[in-house]
Amino acid sequence: MAITDQTSTGSPASGTGVAARAVDLVKNYGKGEALVTALAGVNVEFERGRFTAVMGPSGSGKSTLMHCMAGLDTPTSGHSFVGEQDIGQLDDAGLTQMRRDRIGFVFQSFNLVPTLTARENITLPADLAGTKIDQEWFDFLVAQLRIGDRLSHRPNELSGGQQQRAACARALIGRPDLIFADEPTGNLDSNSSSEMLGFLRRSVTEFHQSIVMVTHDPRGAAFADRVIFLADGDVVGELASPTADSVLERMKQLGT
Amino acid sequence: MWKVTIKGLLAHKLRLALTALAIVLGVTFISGTFVLTDTLHNTFTTLFGHVYQNVDFQVRGQAVFTSNTGGGGAERNNIPQSIVTTVRNVPGVADAEGTVSGNAQFIAPDGKAISTGGAPTLGVSFDPDPRLSSLHVIQGAAPTTSGDVAMDAATAKKYHFAVGDRVRILLPGPTQTFTITGIVRFGTADNLAGATLAAFTLPTAQRLLQEVGQVDAINVLSKPGVDKASLQRAIAQALPPGVEVVTGQTVANEQTNQINQALGFFSTALLVFAFISLFVGAFTIFNTFSIIVGQRTRELALLRIVGASRRQVFRSVLLEAGLVGIVASLIGLGLGVLAALGLEALLKGFGISLPTGSLVFATRTVIVALAVGVGVTLVSAISPARRAVRIPPVAALVDYRGDDGESSRRRIVIGTVVAVLGVAALTLGLTKPAIQLVGLGAVAVFIGIGMLAPIVARPMASVLGRPLARTLSMAGKLGRENSMRSPRRTAQTSSALMVGLALVSTIAVFGASLSKSATSSVDEAINADYIITSNSGGGAGAISNSVASTASRVPGVVIASTVYSGQFEFRHSVDTLTAVSPQHLSDTIILRMQSGAGAPALSAGQLLIDTTTANSDHLSVGSVVPVKFAQTGSSTMRIGGIYKANSLLGSFLIGDGFFLSHFSNPLPLAVLLNTTNPTGTQSHALNDGLNAFPNLKIQTRAQFEKSQQAQVNQLLGLVYALLALAVVIAMIGIVNTLMLSVFERTHEIGLLRAVGMKRRQVRAMIRSEAVILALFGAIIGIIVGTALGTAFAASLKQQGITDIVIPFGSLVLFLVLAALLGLGAATWPARRAAKLDVLAAIAAE
Repeated sequence: MAITDQTSTGSPASGTGVAARAVDLVKNYGKGEALVTALAGVNVEFERGRFTAVMGPSGSGKSTLMHCMAGLDTPTSGHSFVGEQDIGQLDDAGLTQMRRDRIGFVFQSFNLVPTLTARENITLPADLAGTKIDQEWFDFLVAQLRIGDRLSHRPNELSGGQQQRAACARALIGRPDLIFADEPTGNLDSNSSSEMLGFLRRSVTEFHQSIVMVTHDPRGAAFADRVIFLADGDVVGELASPTADSVLERMKQLGT
Repeated sequence: MWKVTIKGLLAHKLRLALTALAIVLGVTFISGTFVLTDTLHNTFTTLFGHVYQNVDFQVRGQAVFTSNTGGGGAERNNIPQSIVTTVRNVPGVADAEGTVSGNAQFIAPDGKAISTGGAPTLGVSFDPDPRLSSLHVIQGAAPTTSGDVAMDAATAKKYHFAVGDRVRILLPGPTQTFTITGIVRFGTADNLAGATLAAFTLPTAQRLLQEVGQVDAINVLSKPGVDKASLQRAIAQALPPGVEVVTGQTVANEQTNQINQALGFFSTALLVFAFISLFVGAFTIFNTFSIIVGQRTRELALLRIVGASRRQVFRSVLLEAGLVGIVASLIGLGLGVLAALGLEALLKGFGISLPTGSLVFATRTVIVALAVGVGVTLVSAISPARRAVRIPPVAALVDYRGDDGESSRRRIVIGTVVAVLGVAALTLGLTKPAIQLVGLGAVAVFIGIGMLAPIVARPMASVLGRPLARTLSMAGKLGRENSMRSPRRTAQTSSALMVGLALVSTIAVFGASLSKSATSSVDEAINADYIITSNSGGGAGAISNSVASTASRVPGVVIASTVYSGQFEFRHSVDTLTAVSPQHLSDTIILRMQSGAGAPALSAGQLLIDTTTANSDHLSVGSVVPVKFAQTGSSTMRIGGIYKANSLLGSFLIGDGFFLSHFSNPLPLAVLLNTTNPTGTQSHALNDGLNAFPNLKIQTRAQFEKSQQAQVNQLLGLVYALLALAVVIAMIGIVNTLMLSVFERTHEIGLLRAVGMKRRQVRAMIRSEAVILALFGAIIGIIVGTALGTAFAASLKQQGITDIVIPFGSLVLFLVLAALLGLGAATWPARRAAKLDVLAAIAAE
């Protein structure tokens, strides 16, 4: 049903084009003595219709990379593109609109507005844009994510897994060009983690969604099509079709 | 976004309710004032309409000049009674009746004069023609003989007088006894706004009120079917110069206008306090919304991440404020109506019988109340909303501290500029004088100081908290740390209290100076042993002319000198004139002559002026100035001397001889006595000797001084009571902030409890913080208020505030009260903090 619809309209160039890319991206914090380089000229591309994992030890710059590429933070120099749009060219209103219409987010925690119900949280981007949601797609996502009976509950009445699944539904509801997921399973037990990652995997395979996920869990990275390794603010390697073992192996090689 | 705002509102009902309370109180004040004054206005308009319903025309003396007292009434001369016949003879006139009115005060059965608390005690002629009379007999009959009187229904009811009873009445001449023949109403009311009324036959009234052969006015009734305009022209042609004819409607309008001016003053005074409350409320709202935005940083950032634009965030905060404002204003509007009803009942309780009229709830009341209530809330929320807009989206993901450094520098600059501009406006306003500028300046000073207060918040909180930290050990220490942690919040929270206490201190300094000046003006102006004035508080015209002669017959009395007061035109503007007897001048009155002569000049019919007038009008001894008296018209007077300004004496002095030849039948303002031995025995003798005049207040100079001070203090008490509302609102602000910070520190308090802090210590910690907050606001407020009060008092030196007193005792008392109020404000938050479940608190967030 919704799947055919998605393939025909949502990702016209699935698996071929570039969903987002970074060009010589540099991000420094502080000044003088206290200067910290979080990103040291990163060049990376995330393909459309693929599931890319970004790995690296704490402080390697993976979250900063994500923030800069999603327009949440401003890089010191360099460019990030979403599709063909150089987001450095956008003003605050443009960035806001881009986040709202073209990007989905799932974070480790605090994904949901505490005063709104799960349903309201999921439809929030559409409400903010003043547009109507695709009700069929909504029903489908809610069923797939098994939160249909929790829609009228507030976040504090949901389990951690349910909260993350609701966040997932919100990220997908607008069929964004790209979803940024920042340690989405960081606070979940292994069952919920697997379910969550399985769903992300399916949304790429079945609906040709593009996903970039920051993680430090090799088993999580194994759900991706490709893994990028980051250390000290730069890309130090990558791995296609990863398994948990191959990711671990590579991490050992990189000494992280 | 609309939904987010509503949900947010509903989730924080309590804190918003507390915020709203400030607006509710302010709006209640505004709408109550409007409803009350509109209702009074309406009833008086109706009342005067009824009273002059049947009077087609009124013939009266032309206005000589507009009086500067009594709400803009005109000074008119009496007209000869012969004109009544003249008017009656004009074809088309059905009837014409002369009326007189003056002062006549009933004496209650217990021998005390019936006083009205400020309203006039009227003696009038009873118009025999019921078609023309504004009085309606509801019991008994109209007065017919010289021993008859008709009494107003309100007095009759209150003092249980009935038709046939005998009643003594104080008059311009000796006190006399009358028989009550009838009980009357004024139009539809039992009395006229609290005034008592004694109605006599016209000849009796003329004799008693010392207007024999004269009338104040003539009411005219036209024959049916006569053309009114041509009749008015015909009457006018029959009248001698200086006499005019106007329609009854004109008279009704004039009287309504006079009442409206008085009501206007009353409502302006109340509105000033309403706006003070709202201004203090604005600080509270600003603070609450700042804290709410601070607490919702992550949530707002999350909204930004998922696509809320800056504009949407801004509108969401303002929408929240707007909704709070609307709800609070509506509640305030409702309470305002209740407050008006309450005030009306209170006025009735004071014996002011108001004509029956329904409550007037004007559209203007609704519009102003809503506009001001919502407006104040919105304006106060603008700055917090702008701060909300500046929250970057990443704040949802990383620990975010506001851009404090830069904005605090900017705040210091803006705060300084605003404060300096405020001081400039204040200074200009005080010297001009322009009251609006003073108000505007004060507002700017408060805002500026509110912006600058965070700079001193940390060191002051540290100093103020030291004794607490010492006495309460860890709990006090933590309370002190908490108040130092966020200087900006500490300053913001206490800013409302700062404004409240600044105003209270201003009034304290101003009042103490006024009170001291009142005493010293008595000391510097009066030499007499006794001062006799009227106890009805009505000012001039309530003492009988016979008081001085009666008093002089009391053993021990050496001198009895009468003081008069009247209106005249000095260099074409209306002013008040005081007349004293030059014979015993130095024994009764102290005149500090700067130039010219005192008593001799007065005897010679010359005018004495005070230094203030001499300076402002550039006059010196020998100057000849144009003057005008109501009775005798325009002439000139020579300035015979200039005396040191004294608020009790006024600006213009003349001799009593001159006065009596220019004013017909004036009534004494006061009688000054010199005695051989001013002791208790003498006081007794005076009280006995003057017992025919129960409306007198016989005071020694010391007692007179005290009563002058008491008047000032009474006024101050009223102002304090009105300002108390502002202080209450400030306290609500502190409660609100403490609740929010307890809520914010749930985790921290849980941790403290987990490591062994007792509930009692938690309470002590919150209370310490509250006391520090309160003291901080109070100290700054008192300093600012003392400066303001001193400035106000100094600017009124010319108006008679000669001494500037800083009442340290009162100021210290305010400080202590503020600390206690702080403790009180902490009660609820402290209890709530102590009740936190340890496990749940630690698990929070």
